[in-house]
Amino acid sequence: MLIVSIALFILVNLAPGGPLSGRGQSRRMRPEQVAILKRQFGLDQPLYLRYIFWLIGNDWTKIDTDGDGIKESYGQGKGILRGDFGNSYRTRQPVLDTIQNAFKNTAYLMTVTLLVVAMIAIPVGVISAVKQYSIFDIAVTTLSFIGQAIPEFWLGLILILVFYVWLKNPVTGDSLLPPGGMYTLGASFSLIDWTKHLILPVTMGVVGWVTWYSRFLRSSMLDVIHQDYVRTARAKGLSLNKVYYKHALRNALLPLVTIFALDLPYIFAGSLYVEILFSWPGMGRLYYQAAIDRDYPMLMAILTIGTLAVIFANLLADIVYAKLDPRIHYD
Amino acid sequence: MNNKSRWFIISAILIVIGLLSVGCAKETAAPTSDQPVTTTEEAVPTEEIAPVDATEKSQIVIVIAEDPPSFNATVGQTGFDSLVMELVMLSMADLDEAGNAFPELAAELPTVENGDVVIDEENGTMDVTWKLRQDIQWADGVPVTAEDVVFTYNAVVDPEYGYWINGIDYVDGVEKIDDYTAVVHYNTIYPGYLTQFGGYVMAIWPAHYCKAEQGFTQWDCGLQPLSNGPYILKEWIQNDHLTFERNPTYFEAGKPTIDQIIVKIIPDEAVRKQMLINGDADVDMWTVEPVIAELENYKDVVEVSLSPVDRWVMRIFFNLAAKGTTDAEATPHPVLSDVRVRRAIRMAIDVETIGKEFFLGYADPVWTEFFRPPFNVCDIPKPVYDLEAAKALLEEAGWIDQDGDGVRECRGCTTGAEEGYPMEMEFITYSEYGEALDLTQEFIAEKLGEMGIKLNISRVEGTVLWDTSTNGGIEQSGNFDIDIWDDGYSGNDPTDFLWGYYYSTAAVPDAGLNYGRYINPQVDELIDASYTLDEGLRQESFCQMAEILEQDLPELLLFTTVDANAHSTRLQGVQSNANEIVTWNVADWTLK
Repeated sequence: MLIVSIALFILVNLAPGGPLSGRGQSRRMRPEQVAILKRQFGLDQPLYLRYIFWLIGNDWTKIDTDGDGIKESYGQGKGILRGDFGNSYRTRQPVLDTIQNAFKNTAYLMTVTLLVVAMIAIPVGVISAVKQYSIFDIAVTTLSFIGQAIPEFWLGLILILVFYVWLKNPVTGDSLLPPGGMYTLGASFSLIDWTKHLILPVTMGVVGWVTWYSRFLRSSMLDVIHQDYVRTARAKGLSLNKVYYKHALRNALLPLVTIFALDLPYIFAGSLYVEILFSWPGMGRLYYQAAIDRDYPMLMAILTIGTLAVIFANLLADIVYAKLDPRIHYD
Repeated sequence: MNNKSRWFIISAILIVIGLLSVGCAKETAAPTSDQPVTTTEEAVPTEEIAPVDATEKSQIVIVIAEDPPSFNATVGQTGFDSLVMELVMLSMADLDEAGNAFPELAAELPTVENGDVVIDEENGTMDVTWKLRQDIQWADGVPVTAEDVVFTYNAVVDPEYGYWINGIDYVDGVEKIDDYTAVVHYNTIYPGYLTQFGGYVMAIWPAHYCKAEQGFTQWDCGLQPLSNGPYILKEWIQNDHLTFERNPTYFEAGKPTIDQIIVKIIPDEAVRKQMLINGDADVDMWTVEPVIAELENYKDVVEVSLSPVDRWVMRIFFNLAAKGTTDAEATPHPVLSDVRVRRAIRMAIDVETIGKEFFLGYADPVWTEFFRPPFNVCDIPKPVYDLEAAKALLEEAGWIDQDGDGVRECRGCTTGAEEGYPMEMEFITYSEYGEALDLTQEFIAEKLGEMGIKLNISRVEGTVLWDTSTNGGIEQSGNFDIDIWDDGYSGNDPTDFLWGYYYSTAAVPDAGLNYGRYINPQVDELIDASYTLDEGLRQESFCQMAEILEQDLPELLLFTTVDANAHSTRLQGVQSNANEIVTWNVADWTLK
């Protein structure tokens, strides 16, 4: 983790462009402004010191806060090892507060998306395998290739065009579905309202994943149902449903569980396209904005937590795999 | 119960729990008029706006692309912060759509004529007396006084947490004379004094509310402002929306008339446009040319307000120093240091076609910095698009395609380039502007290519193009040949702008914006001379400068780009203002 953090810090800080250049209306940032910001952001320090301050804070050493060349007061940063990821260059607020808000929204969207993916992909993959080369299988295979080929952003635009622009609620005359957001502002909580706001972003997120997972499961299931123990089970007179769904599916799901666990970090990272198109205030947009602004503290916080999430997901995948497959032991 | 049913029920329960957990998240407290702001933490984002009973509360929705960093536009300067700042904060003076200053907190504009500007000719200094209106108060009932003006100035110049604003180096101090009078002491004559503490990036902050020790750039009142403007912030859900309600104590009687404004963050341009057409949004900030053209088809529901004066000018920046260097005299550019080459390039750019084809008719040709009132009286002839004359000029300058490869070479050129040096350069722009600029860049490169000037186009992020020299910024470090992008100044005073781009001191890396390293002592003198309040003298200086710049062509000004904001037809009073942000006159907006 230490090595990763050093690598990330170097990459983020040395990438072309920086927080001291103008953008938007402020493309002409004046040198006087640059000098002030440099000091306020701590960018007047050499890179190695910036990393040390990011890691363990700077409240143990004096720094020059007013640009007179004299180090007159102690810094205020505590460093990430003490839970202080610093303040955003953009908002000047603690980055963890902002991440916390965005994470809740992303976790909500991605959890629902992954659940829907599982609910669709598993039965579709199993049926495709069990009824290999049937019309259903051929249709699913065709749709899967189409689903994988469709650009996500384009799909989102089409969904908005169809369900927000073209289709209207026959009773109220309003658009059938909202173009984004999490719920209707000013309205009291309603499960229907929340669900309506989920349909389009979840659909956009689900398509690619469903096609990938269902194809994977189909392939895995086909491997399993041609194995000897399945044939034995059938020969012993067990019903097909019991053979496929009790014995075969459990084993076919094993590799999928691993992949699913490895995809769990998306619950933290979110999906940039979905969040941009459907105005979802989540982690994807937060990261994108931070990258554009070269908001180093925000970028480092997201990347560091994201790295931890990936490590955790890998660990989880290993643990779950060992639990599900008794042949695997970690000594 | 079989496994299938069990999985289905577990999944359903998980979804319901997920929905409820977000739905039951802590709501932000609705602030009272005594508590005009709200916290952004623990907030739940929203999107679609529930219809409001028109008889109870009038409401409009403004859609913008990014969440404002804060309400302190001085620090962020993204435009989005200005939009919300104008809703809640007043400044000493603002700019109208013609670029003229008008008083906000001030009772009247200080001028030499009314005696509020006193010039010390002998020392070259001046004092500006600002008299404040006595009927403006903060949302908590405390009057806005000179104390707030002094407080704001001190916060800005604080060496630790302050910031730099235009002309602040010319201010020696701000002195409170009485509760409603403050004097700004200048150590020079500063013509931009009227909007130094105003415009769309600067506001006056409440001394009794903002915590000085937190610092101007990061104080909490930048996120939770105490209003003295037409609206009060009621709720801010980061990255989603901000809700504002009418300030009942706003000083202009009967204004504002709209009860509630919701500013929604809609990152995608196509969605913003469609929301406007569908009636789910009332204002789309910064509408771009293709969208303006498309909205022509929806005139019954959407209008587009164009700024009557232009500000942003698409311009070509020539590097007069060799690429990678920053001294045009020691290391002149092997191609561009000859003014005949620059002039030939101008002759070969078909500005009319670019404006018509790529900017869809929303671009007006411009060829001098002094194209805006009141200084648009200099007699600088409009350049002519003439490919043949351009070719002849290149040949006269010693650039000829002798080997027939389609690229001219130095054959007796006077720039110091070696014989045979090819006329091949990099042509950069920034990627954020969008398709219109991309096409323009390609068009220019293609046309110049046809006459033997090979331009290799590249696009970079603005943050890379405009970064500091020490961090490898392309322009500050002189690592370019030709760039194209847009810039301009707000208001009617170009002095600071001209200094930034044309003064010799500003050619030093990271010391200014004279990226082309244009050095002309005559221009320096004229810029110095324009720091006066004598409008006649300024006019004379600017016209002389216009002639010199026309002769030297350090930059090519091509055309203005539009400043437009689309709005619903039910919303009246919206006036785009290139000197400001669309909400500059929000108190005057009404609903049909």
